[in-house]
Amino acid sequence: MGKRLTEPEQRAISRLVIEVGQRLLQHGAESKLVSDVSIRLGRALGLDSVELALSASSLVVTTLSQGHCITTARRCPDRGINMKVVTDIQRTVILAEKGILDALAVRKRLSRIEPFRYPPWLVVGMIGLSCAAFSRLAGGDAVVFALTFIASATGMRVRQLIAHRHFNPLLTFAVTAMVTTLISSVGTIMDWGNEPFLIMASSVLMLVPGYPLINAVSDMVKGFVDMGIARWTMASLLTLATALGIVGAMSLVGAWGWL
Amino acid sequence: MSLLLALLEDMFFAMIPAVGFALVFNVPVKALKYCAYGGAVGHGLRFVLMESGVAIEWATLAGATTIGFLGVYWSQRFLAHPKVFTVAAIIPMIPGVYAFKAMIALVTINNQGYSPALWASLIENLTTAGFILSALAIGLAMPGLLFYRRRPVI
Repeated sequence: MGKRLTEPEQRAISRLVIEVGQRLLQHGAESKLVSDVSIRLGRALGLDSVELALSASSLVVTTLSQGHCITTARRCPDRGINMKVVTDIQRTVILAEKGILDALAVRKRLSRIEPFRYPPWLVVGMIGLSCAAFSRLAGGDAVVFALTFIASATGMRVRQLIAHRHFNPLLTFAVTAMVTTLISSVGTIMDWGNEPFLIMASSVLMLVPGYPLINAVSDMVKGFVDMGIARWTMASLLTLATALGIVGAMSLVGAWGWL
Repeated sequence: MSLLLALLEDMFFAMIPAVGFALVFNVPVKALKYCAYGGAVGHGLRFVLMESGVAIEWATLAGATTIGFLGVYWSQRFLAHPKVFTVAAIIPMIPGVYAFKAMIALVTINNQGYSPALWASLIENLTTAGFILSALAIGLAMPGLLFYRRRPVI
């Protein structure tokens, strides 16, 4: 390492390192990425080493420079999966690594990164089409396709409206599953399409926590077993909440498509 | 000929959910088309393998591994983590129906009491979902497990 860091400099860099780790964790990056990117940023800005302790909802970072260590911790409440933020942060760190950005420039760039979101109605339409495509892949006909689209697009809109009011995700998933199943069960009751069960099965697939489940297995494969188990448990609870919503709707209307 | 048509249809209908879920994950606009390609290639490969008699878990592993390597290639060109492209691309292969069937069996055992059929449904669906999911995650991790063992992809 070239120049000696003063204590305020080390402190400022430690704050940047933990902010990067915190934001990556909050926006759905896997543990290996969180730890690699934070460590690389610290090294690029002149620290001797960076040690990270990851847990499901918080982060502890210790930075070392010429025998001096600074430890700091942050809470990391979930902010929703956002790959745009993850990409922007990683590019900032790569620029710092190449020597293009110093600590001050990194801080400026980080503060400019805003969580970008696609327009809600575009998401509603595309998720409707996605679930309809699932029903087609499973062998449904045009009637099944259309009804799945209606059920899951409505469900997605309900999910956005509930999530926007910051309800607990488990509750959001259960209510969304219930609304979606209520709408799709019309097909089963009226016996529309070639396989009415496919409407019920496909329209709730938007609620499968795909990203958390994949992250859970990747974390465990890459040595972050505790993080993997925490993510696996959360994803299982979301799946269970969804199942409760589905069963609730099925017992309301008496359409037992899933059994 | 009919197999080729079925394959094209399968690939087309796998592209839609790959893009749909990429929107939910807020993937950068420029990366969306790669999610679509990945979804089509991975699901298409799995379709062909399953048509020729390969079990779903192994076919899924092959599809996910292919997406994993494509992800590394795009990742280096686009300067973004491979997961930005790959997770949306494997979404069409996620065993959602199995996972829900297992959980619904669990809830029903609680409602209606134990029966061997419900218990079998719970265990079988849970196991299948678990194995397919592991195949997906390990497939995506394959470039890291084989080639990028001690260095980052980007």
